[in-house]
Amino acid sequence: MNTRRQFLKRSLVATSAIAGVPSIGAASGGGGIPKRFIFLHRGNGLWPKVMVPPSFSKEQLEIERRKEALEVDLDGHDLPEWMEPLAEHRDDLTILQGLSGKMCTVGHHSWCSSLGVFKANERLSSIRWATVDFELAKLFPSPVGHVELACFPLGGGNARGSLDGIATGFSARGPQQPNYAFGSPKAALNELFKSVSDDSETQVKYQLDRQLLSFLGNGERKLSETLSQSELPKLAHYAQSIESIQGRNERIDAMGDQIRRHVPELDAKYLADEMTTFDRQRGHTEVLLGALVSGLTNVAAFTVDELGHRYTGIPGIEGQKVNMHDIGHGKEIGGLTAEEIRKRCRHHHMTLVDTMVRRLKSIPEDGGTMFDNTMIFYFPDGGETHHSHGTEFPFIVMSGDKVGLEMRRRYIRLPKYGDPGHKTLGNWYTTLLNQFGSSINHYGAHDVGLQAFGIDQTGPIQSLMS
Amino acid sequence: MLRMRQAMKWFLVCVILLISVNADANDDVKTLQLLLGRTCFDCHTEIDPESGVDLSRLETLNIDALMKLLPLIHEQVMTGEMPPSEANGLEPSERLVIDKTIRGILGANHSELLDARSSEMRFANYVNHELLFDKTAVANAATEKRRWLVSPKIFYERVIDVFALEGRERDNYSKRGQRFYGITNPFLLPDRSGIRYDDQGLLNGGHLLVMLNNAQWIAGKYVFAAVHDGENRGSLEYPDPKDRWLPNNIPRSYVELANARIPVGSDLIHQAVTDHFQRVLRRKPNQSELRLHTELTQKAIEIGGSAQGLNQLLISVLLKSEFLYRYEFGDGPIDALGRQQLSALEAADAISYAIGDQRPDQQLITAALQGALATREDYAREVKRLLNDDVYYRGQIDPSLNGKHYRSNETSHPKLVRFFRDFFGYPLCLKIFKDSPRSDGYYRNPGRGSLATPGWLTLEADRIVTYHVERDREVFRNLLTSDQFFVYHDKTNEVGEEIIKEWSEVYEKLKGSDWRNEPEAVLADNIDFIKLRKALKTADTSRPGELVNYMHYFSETFGNNRTPFTTIPWAHGYTFHHSPFYGLPPTPSIGRYGSWKSTKFQSGVEPKQFWDYPTQQPFAIENRKGILTHPAWLIAHSSNFHTDPIKRGKWIREKLLAGFVPDVPITVDAQIPDDPHVTLRERVESATAKQECWKCHRRMNPLGFAFEAFDDFGRYRLEEPLESAENRIASGDGKTSFDRFKTLPVNTNGTLVGTGDPQLDGPVTDAFELIDRLAASDRARQSMIRYAFRFFLGRNETLTDALTLQDADRAYLESNGSFNAVVISLLSSDSFRFRRVDPSDTTVALKH
Repeated sequence: MNTRRQFLKRSLVATSAIAGVPSIGAASGGGGIPKRFIFLHRGNGLWPKVMVPPSFSKEQLEIERRKEALEVDLDGHDLPEWMEPLAEHRDDLTILQGLSGKMCTVGHHSWCSSLGVFKANERLSSIRWATVDFELAKLFPSPVGHVELACFPLGGGNARGSLDGIATGFSARGPQQPNYAFGSPKAALNELFKSVSDDSETQVKYQLDRQLLSFLGNGERKLSETLSQSELPKLAHYAQSIESIQGRNERIDAMGDQIRRHVPELDAKYLADEMTTFDRQRGHTEVLLGALVSGLTNVAAFTVDELGHRYTGIPGIEGQKVNMHDIGHGKEIGGLTAEEIRKRCRHHHMTLVDTMVRRLKSIPEDGGTMFDNTMIFYFPDGGETHHSHGTEFPFIVMSGDKVGLEMRRRYIRLPKYGDPGHKTLGNWYTTLLNQFGSSINHYGAHDVGLQAFGIDQTGPIQSLMS
Repeated sequence: MLRMRQAMKWFLVCVILLISVNADANDDVKTLQLLLGRTCFDCHTEIDPESGVDLSRLETLNIDALMKLLPLIHEQVMTGEMPPSEANGLEPSERLVIDKTIRGILGANHSELLDARSSEMRFANYVNHELLFDKTAVANAATEKRRWLVSPKIFYERVIDVFALEGRERDNYSKRGQRFYGITNPFLLPDRSGIRYDDQGLLNGGHLLVMLNNAQWIAGKYVFAAVHDGENRGSLEYPDPKDRWLPNNIPRSYVELANARIPVGSDLIHQAVTDHFQRVLRRKPNQSELRLHTELTQKAIEIGGSAQGLNQLLISVLLKSEFLYRYEFGDGPIDALGRQQLSALEAADAISYAIGDQRPDQQLITAALQGALATREDYAREVKRLLNDDVYYRGQIDPSLNGKHYRSNETSHPKLVRFFRDFFGYPLCLKIFKDSPRSDGYYRNPGRGSLATPGWLTLEADRIVTYHVERDREVFRNLLTSDQFFVYHDKTNEVGEEIIKEWSEVYEKLKGSDWRNEPEAVLADNIDFIKLRKALKTADTSRPGELVNYMHYFSETFGNNRTPFTTIPWAHGYTFHHSPFYGLPPTPSIGRYGSWKSTKFQSGVEPKQFWDYPTQQPFAIENRKGILTHPAWLIAHSSNFHTDPIKRGKWIREKLLAGFVPDVPITVDAQIPDDPHVTLRERVESATAKQECWKCHRRMNPLGFAFEAFDDFGRYRLEEPLESAENRIASGDGKTSFDRFKTLPVNTNGTLVGTGDPQLDGPVTDAFELIDRLAASDRARQSMIRYAFRFFLGRNETLTDALTLQDADRAYLESNGSFNAVVISLLSSDSFRFRRVDPSDTTVALKH
C-alpha cells in the first residue's frame, strides 16, 4: 500500500519535467523578508494637474505645463492640499507622471486594463495574462497568495450584483481567469480570518471546507495509485494541488496565534449591512492591513471605487448618493462643485494611504518596520480624465527604504507621449517585476500608436532601477 | 534498377535478421551504423565530419552521448532532412528500419526523449510524410489508452448536463452562447493555428482553483432551489440579486435531503448520491463510492445540517477529476495485434465529442447498449447519420464573437468549421491590435462590447468556410482557391434583393421631386406609395428628415448606377467600415447625411464613390483567392505594424507542405533592421541572408514573400509605403486626414519547394500562382488530411497510422472532395476504434 508520502514522491518524479506548475500553496517566502504591494486604483480619472505641488517654481511649472521630463526633490515643497495626509511621509513619497497606457481600454470602464496593460472589456476572452499584482504575488508567495477588495459598481457598464458579496474583481489570475473580490469588509473578514473566527456559522464552513479537501485528496490519491506511469501525470498535478491547499490550510492553522493577533477589530458600523462608501473604504483598509500584517498575503488590490459606484459619505454632502459619472461631467451636487467633490474623495483616499503607512511603520520587522519592504500605489483605472485617451496614468507611490527603487521623495515627470524617452504603464510594471526578481523582458501589450514615434517600448525604466 | 531493388531487399532482410537475433543494444548500434553507412558516411566519418557528427563510430560513444545523438539522427532521417538531396537517398523501407532500430536502442536504455517529443503537436510534422503515404506500409493502428481532458466547450456542455437543462433553455446555453453567471471555464485553448486541442492536457492546480468556485456555485444553486422548493421564485431573496437564475429540474432526492430532519436515513442519501453521480458523471456510483460519499454527507450533516450535507455531497462529486476527463481505455477481447476496441459507451462518447461538443444523442447510446457499435461499419453508419443530422449539433461557431454588433454564425456542425478556423488560424487576427490612422481610420480595434473590425473579418471568414463545409464539394481546393467571399452580408440574398427593389422604386419615383428643400411635402404626397415599400420603415409622415437621408443615400448610389448597401448608414449601432480591407470601396460613414431628425440636406459633403453592393453573396472579389487572401488570415499572419512574410511562409510550410521549421535558437535575437529606404522584404532578406539564418529561413521566406502584395491590414497593393518620418510626404490629423509616405514597388516573386512534385515546385510570381500550385499538389491535400487526423483523434499521427491517413485521403478523392467523407473515414478507422494494450508494441509491418 502506498502512503501519502510515497504517492507525492512518485507524483513529483513523474511531473518534475513539466513546466508551469501552479504556485498555489507554494512555500511562503522561500526565506527572507518578502516585499509587499498594495494597489489602490480608482475610477473616473485622475487629472495630472492635481498632482503638481503648488510650490513649484515658475520654470518648473512651465516645464510641467509642456509635459517635458522633470525630476524634483520633494523636500521643502508643499504637497497639493488633498495630499496633505501624506505630508509626514514625504520621504517615502513619489509623484510619478507621464506614463501612458493607450494599449489599455480607457474611458469610463477599463476593468483589468490598468493592472494588466491590455485592452479588457469585461469579456473573459479579453484577459490576456495575469495582472501585475498577481505576477508580483507569484514572486512573493504567501498562504492566501493575493487579496482583492472592492467598492463595487452597481451601475454603469459593468455593474456587479451587490455591494457586499464576492464577485468578479478587477485583477486577473491568468489568461481568461478573472479574480474575485470581496465587496464588504464583513465578507472579507469572515473569509480571510475564518480559521480563527468565533462565529459559529463561519466555523461550520471552515470545518466543512477542511473535510471536503481531505475527502477529495484521499479519493484522487487512491485513484492515481491505480494509474500507469504514463497516465500518472494526468492526475498528479490535481492531486498535488489538493494536497497543496491542505498544506496551505495547515500553515494557516499553524499561524493561528499570529493571525488571531491581527484580526481587524472593526467597529460595528464597518460590519453593518448599510454603510457609507467612506466607511466601506476604511473597513476594507483595516481588513487589508490585517491580512498583510498577519502574513496571510503579501499583495493586495483594492478597487477604492469605480465609475459605476454610487458614492456616499462625502463630507459636506453625507446624505447624498453621488453618481460619479455626473461628477465626471462637472455636475454640482449639494452646493459642492464637481472639482471639490473629487478633491474631498481624493483627500479621503490619502487618509487611507496614511493609515496603511502609519500602521506598517508601527510594526517592527528585520531591524526596521514592515513598511520598509512595502510599496503602495494609488492610480486611476482609466487614465488622465473622465473621458481619457490613456496618454497619462498619474501615480502616487509610497515605498519603504528597503524596496530599492530610485524614486523616493521625488516628483518625476517622464517625457510626454511621443517624445524620446517616453514610458508606458508596461515599462513601469516591467520595472517593478525586474526589480523584484522576474527577468521578464517586457510586461504588457505594446501601444501600436507609439510605433510611429520610433520609441522602444520594451523593458524597464532604467532610471528607476537600483 | 530491378537488380538494385533486389539487392536492397536482401540487404533489408539481413538487417531485420540482425535486429531480431541481437537482443543486445550494442549490436543494434552496430546495425544502425551499417544502415547509415551507405548514405551518410560520405560526410559523417571521423575525418572532418560534417557538423561535427561522426556516424562511423557510434559504438564507441558512451551511453549519455549516444542517447543525445540518436534522437537527432532520428529527426534528420525521419523528416527527410538527411541525407541531403545530392547524396544517395534512403528508400522508405530503409527509413522504417532506421526508425525501428533507433527506437529499439532508446527503449532498451529507458530513454523517453523521442516519445515525449513525438506526442507534442509542434513536432507532429517530424513524422516522415512519404512513409505515411507509402503504399507498401501495412499499419497496426491504435491509440494509447487515455484520459483526455475535456475541451472548454465540452466542459460547458457538461455543466449544462449537470443542470439537466431542456428545450429552449438548453438551446440558449448550448447553441446560442448564453453563459452561466457563476461558471468560469477552467480550460483555455492556446492561441495558435493548427491544432489547439489534444489529449496531452493535464489537470492542474489552476483548474482546481477555478473548479472550487464553479462547484460551489453549482451546488449553491441546487441547494437554494431545493431549500425553497415549491415557493414563488419571484419573491425569494437571492444571495446575489443579479444572479437570480435557478435550475428547474431538481431531483426529488436533493429536495428531500436539503429539507430532511436529522438524523437523515441512509436510503435518502444513497438516492441523492446516485442521482448526482448520474448527473455529473453519467454513471452509477460503485459500492465503495456510494459508501464513501454517504459517509461524507452524514458527517457534513452532523456539522452543518441537512442543507450543508447536500451541498457537501454535490461539491464532492463535481470536483472529481473524472468530471473533467474523457475516458478511452478500451474493453473486451484483445486482438492478434494486441489491441482492444473502445467499449461501446466509450465509443459513443468518442464519436459524439469528435463531431460536436455534446454528449451522445439517444440513438447513439441505444446503439451502444444494443451492441450495434462494434464494427467499422457500425461506426461509419453512426458517424454518417450524425453528419446528416441538421439539428443535434447545430449551434454557433464561436460564441465569444457575440457582442452588441454581431453574433457568431450558426451551422449544423460547428466543430467541422472549427477545424478549418483552427487550421488556418485566421481568428488570431483578434489578437493583433492596429494603429487605426494607418488604415485611414477604417480599422477599429476590439473594445467594450464588440470585437470590432477583426471580429467582423473573423465572422466573414467563418461564413465562407461554413459555405464550403456545408456544400461539401472539393472543400480543400475551394477553401484555397475560391474567389467567392461574404462581405457585410447581414441579410439573406432574397431579403437583400427585396430591399433594393423597393428602395430603387422609391428613388425612381421621387428623384425628380424637390425632396432636398420640401421633404415634408414630398413625404406627404407620396406616403401611401412609400408605406407599401416596407424596406424604408416609414409608416407615417413624422420623419421627413429621414426621407432626405434616404434620398441623399440613394442619389449617391442608385444615382451613380451603384447598388446601396442594404443597411442604412445612420442605423443605430452601424459598424460597417471594413470593406476597404477587401480592396472594396467604403460605404458611407455614420453622419454623412446628418441626423435623420433634421430635414436639412447636407449639401457640402465631398463626393465619393461608394461600394456597388452585391446583394447576392458569396460574390467574386478581384485580387483574392481563397482563405490565404482573406483579410482575417492576412492580419492574423502579420505583426501589429507591418506584414510578416516569415510568419506567412511558416504557416504554408507547416500546414500545406507538412514541413517544419526548427525553433529559433535561443542565442538568436531575431530582429528586422530599421532602414527607411528599402521595403520590408529587403530588410527581411538582409537580416536572414547569413548562412546560419538562411538554413531555416529558406523554408519560409520564399513562400511568404509571395504575399507581399497584401499589407498588414490585408489590403491588396502594388506599392509599399515606407512609413517613417523622413519619408512622410503629407501629414494628417489621424481622424479625417492621414499621413502619406513615399512608396516602393512590392516584389512578390517567391519559390515553392516541398510539394514533392517537380511539376509544381519552382519559382512563382505572386501569391495567386503559389496558391494554385499548392491546391494542385497531393502534398497540400495530404497535409490537410494529417491535420484533420490530429483534430479528430486528439493526437499526433505515427507511422502505425499510415493506412488510416491513406484511407481518409482516398475517401476524399473518391467523393469529389467531401470533408464529411474524411470525417467518416477517420472516425471509423482502426486508429480511432482501437486502444493498444501494450504501448510498446508499435510494430510497423512491411509488405515486402
